[in-house]
Amino acid sequence: MEVEDAPLDDKAKRMRDLLSSFYSADPPPSMPANASSKYATLDTINTTSFDADQYMNLLVQKSSLEGLLQRHVEMAAEIKNLDTDLQMLVYENYNKFISATETIKRMKNNIVGMESNMEQLLEKIMSVQSRSDGVNTSLFEQREHIEKLHRTRNLLRKVQFIYDLPSRLGKCIKSEAYADAVRFYTGAMPIFKAYGDSSFQDCKRASEEAVAIIIKNLQGKLFSDSESIQARNEAAMLLKQLDFPVDSLKAKLLEKLEQFLDNIQLESGDISNALVDHDEPSKQGKFPVSVPSAAHEASTHEFVEAIRAYRMIFPDSEQQLIKLAQDLVTKQFKATQEQIKRQIRSADLLEMLRVIWTDVLLMDEVLPEAALSDFSLEAARVAVKQYIDTTFSHLLHNVSDALTKVQCRPKEGVEEEYSLQSSLEASKKAVTEGSTDVLQDFRQLLDDNTGLLVKLRDLIIDWVQEGFQDFFRKLDDHFLLLSGKTNSTGQDQGLTEGTQKDKVLSGLDLVLAQLSVFIEQSGIPRITEASDSSVFKNSIEIAASFSGGGVRGYEYGPAFVPAEICRIFRSAGEKFLHLYIKVRTQKISVLSRKRFTTPNWVKHKEPREVHMFVDLFLQELEAIGTEVKQILPQGLHRKHRRTDSNGSTNSSRSNPLRDDKILRSNTQRARSQLLETHLAKLFKQKMEIFTKVEHTQESVGTTIVKLCLKSLQEFVRLQTFNRSGFQQIQLDIQFLRTTLKETVEDEAAIDFLLDEVIVAAAERCLDPIPLEPPILDKLIQAKLAKTSEQSPSSS
Amino acid sequence: MQGGSTGIGYGLKYQARCIADVKADTDHTSFIAGTLSLKEENEVHLIRFSSGGTELVCEGLFSHPNEIWDLSSCPFDQRIFSTVFSSGETYGAAIWQIPELYGELNSPQLEHIGSLDALNSKIKCTLWWPSGRHDKLISIDEQNLYLWSLDTLKKTAQVQSQESAGMLPYLSGGAWDPHDVNSIASTCESSIQFWDLRTMKKTNSIEHAHIRNVDYDTKKKYVLVTAEDESGIHIWDLRMHKIPSLELPGHSHWTWAVRCNPEYDGLILSAGTDSAVNLWLASPPRTDDLSSESLVESPTMQVDPLLNSYSDYEDSVYGLAWSSREPWIFASVSYDGRVVVESVKPHLPKK
Repeated sequence: MEVEDAPLDDKAKRMRDLLSSFYSADPPPSMPANASSKYATLDTINTTSFDADQYMNLLVQKSSLEGLLQRHVEMAAEIKNLDTDLQMLVYENYNKFISATETIKRMKNNIVGMESNMEQLLEKIMSVQSRSDGVNTSLFEQREHIEKLHRTRNLLRKVQFIYDLPSRLGKCIKSEAYADAVRFYTGAMPIFKAYGDSSFQDCKRASEEAVAIIIKNLQGKLFSDSESIQARNEAAMLLKQLDFPVDSLKAKLLEKLEQFLDNIQLESGDISNALVDHDEPSKQGKFPVSVPSAAHEASTHEFVEAIRAYRMIFPDSEQQLIKLAQDLVTKQFKATQEQIKRQIRSADLLEMLRVIWTDVLLMDEVLPEAALSDFSLEAARVAVKQYIDTTFSHLLHNVSDALTKVQCRPKEGVEEEYSLQSSLEASKKAVTEGSTDVLQDFRQLLDDNTGLLVKLRDLIIDWVQEGFQDFFRKLDDHFLLLSGKTNSTGQDQGLTEGTQKDKVLSGLDLVLAQLSVFIEQSGIPRITEASDSSVFKNSIEIAASFSGGGVRGYEYGPAFVPAEICRIFRSAGEKFLHLYIKVRTQKISVLSRKRFTTPNWVKHKEPREVHMFVDLFLQELEAIGTEVKQILPQGLHRKHRRTDSNGSTNSSRSNPLRDDKILRSNTQRARSQLLETHLAKLFKQKMEIFTKVEHTQESVGTTIVKLCLKSLQEFVRLQTFNRSGFQQIQLDIQFLRTTLKETVEDEAAIDFLLDEVIVAAAERCLDPIPLEPPILDKLIQAKLAKTSEQSPSSS
Repeated sequence: MQGGSTGIGYGLKYQARCIADVKADTDHTSFIAGTLSLKEENEVHLIRFSSGGTELVCEGLFSHPNEIWDLSSCPFDQRIFSTVFSSGETYGAAIWQIPELYGELNSPQLEHIGSLDALNSKIKCTLWWPSGRHDKLISIDEQNLYLWSLDTLKKTAQVQSQESAGMLPYLSGGAWDPHDVNSIASTCESSIQFWDLRTMKKTNSIEHAHIRNVDYDTKKKYVLVTAEDESGIHIWDLRMHKIPSLELPGHSHWTWAVRCNPEYDGLILSAGTDSAVNLWLASPPRTDDLSSESLVESPTMQVDPLLNSYSDYEDSVYGLAWSSREPWIFASVSYDGRVVVESVKPHLPKK
């Protein structure tokens, strides 16, 4: 194919070249105009600058003979070809020329006679026009008439319509086709406006009456809840078309809705009341709760339906509806808060919140624009926070109530024995049970799946933690307040402090001390544990925040840090214990002070019996003992006691020495006595009198005795005695020695202190001659007999 | 226990209750102490703190006729001091002068300048005009307050004015306000009373029980420090005397004496019957954030005010005195007659 194609192409190309050279003198651009002889090739044959001689030379030079021969043949063929082509071209052109001349000849013949035809045509058209004009003028009059008649007929039809309007409206009313009626009426309206006062007066009145009925009916329709929403919507539309003040209607309707809301409100109030009323029975079954809540649900449904309807009816009333819905929610939350103030259990709170939430969800469906869920979330946050706060304050209240009962009861006078212990127990119970209850409550809050609470969960956890932290802080403050030892300087307490402290039963301090220890040692661990376990029921993430104090906690202030609370209460416990000891020793100090400042010791009379002061002293100690026994645990110091009794044998070994010394000092001068005291002190280990107080009966009792004896010593040192005065002191102390031994823990120290008192008296005596041991014994025995006589009678 | 080794001891022969700083001695740090012995001959010791600060030297030893219950040194003449003494039943007070050239005499006698006993009531303490050369003296006995005018040349003391505090409760001590020389504070069992010396009338009182000792803050006006038997140390602002502005826990038994440092603000010494001397740094709560701080135990409140406890004593410590010349040095005397001088330098707050 290709082989055949190529010559064909060649041929075509040549043809084109030839033609172009024929029509235009331009040389083909492919070849340079003066291809110089030097560079001339065999191809130049087709160019204008073809030089036959040169070509010939070139050909001869380049080609072989055979090539030349072949070339010759080729060229001869080409020349022949070219000749035939040329002949063809000439022939074709000639043909065309001939046909063109023929055509021109024919055209010349045809054009002759055309002008006359044209003129004829014009004439005819003119005559047609004049005729049609004639027809038109002849028909004009009649047409005008017909048109007039037609107009009259229309007018008459309209008048007919207006006259028919009242009856037509009546018919419409009958068939309740209010839409048609309104259309008719509005159609007639312009006429009534124009001629209503004159010609169509009756007609207008009648139709207005009919329209009034329609309006009434429509209103009824609008207000009736039984109608379908579309119908009501239509009614509203129609009323609007009738130029009826729809807005006032709307306002009325909304008012109605509001009233309805109030009803709901009352109902929900009933519900909450019912919840509270049924608090006890509801433990048996959910039945009493569910009934009112069902009723409430129904009413909420109604409300929601109403909202939906109104929204359809009055598309522009959204804002008001939103406001109404929000009002409803706020009211509900207000009611909840009222309830919270009355201290409800979390189950009830949950119930209420759940009801609200379902309401909100329902309303949210209808009124998504109101963003009720967010709104109620806000409100719920407030409510829950309030709930937590009030719960804690109630807890605090309960604890302090339990405590203050101590204060009141002894004032009534009787069962002191009972009161301290019971109040400790009560307050212990109040603290642990109260806080575990609270925790349980909160756990319920957390476990609940209501959408509201789920969203608030993290916050609740934080609040609970903060609440606990706060609660314990406040408890501590409250304890301080109770003990009359407030740090708050702003108040007037300083003035009354002195007197108040006496009034506040000192036992309270003890109770507080023990309570603090209790809180520190078991209360807080228990709460922490409980909160931990409650957390594990939830999720790990919360667990981390609950038990660890929370990462978040730092931002929102301190969360619940058990260690800190423990520390606070440990120190508080010690503080109260010291306070108790202080108050007690102060009381005894007053006794001792009176004892030592009133008599003139220099002119003292010979001792006849143990002084009354000792009785008072022992009485006080006994009172302390009973208080302490009620509250504080017995120490684990039985063992220590044994070792102490070892110590007491030591001291009893040193005692005779001391007695000896005093006996010997009968005859010796005071100077050597002083020396000996110093010596004795040197040899005797320095007595650690003021040891750390522990929360045990023995420790507290012993500490108080120690402090009092030390005070006695100090008082003695401030006086100067004659011999009898000294002997009196000796007698009193000796008696104390026998009686105190039975009650206290650290005999060695007590012995030491008693000795110190006697030594101090001896030092401050002008004539320190002690009583003879027989006399001393006799007097003590007499006193013991007397007290044992009294004690059975007294008890 | 701690700091026990730092003290420099000095033994009086007998039991003792009182020690005072010799204010007028500007060349040496010296103290004067008196013994309390019922049956022996009592002594007054003039003790000088050696310049090296390593030992206490007895500079003078004088016999005193009776046992000394209180002793104070004259602020303008180092040789003059006053004592309150008793002999069993009777109490008295006198002003003494240390004789010149006492070092050369074997047993120098104190020169008796004047006696301050006007009535036979139990005299409790004497107070010198707080500073400077002034011949006024106060004596407080159980029921009365006397203002004396002293003539050192004529060696007489005369009652200038007197006011009876009423029968009960008995006065127990007092302090002269260094900021207002017309005002003194006296203590009794149930209150602190303030007197105006010009009118000799009671101007004010703080009802507070069992005050053992009282001292004015020499640096801050209107600040009074009291020591109580059981309830430790209270610091009062005299402008609002309903409640103390600060409480310090004090000692494990009674707090007997309390002294404000003459130089360092808020540095307080207290001596107690638990055989210890405590050094406190009282930083009174600033009034503006007082309420908030007391409500929430803020970390600043929890800084322990107790700087140090010197417990190297065998018996109750009754006598306590700061040195006015070297205000970081104090002397204390315990009942067994041991004088201990300590430096508080290691505990001073860094500034």
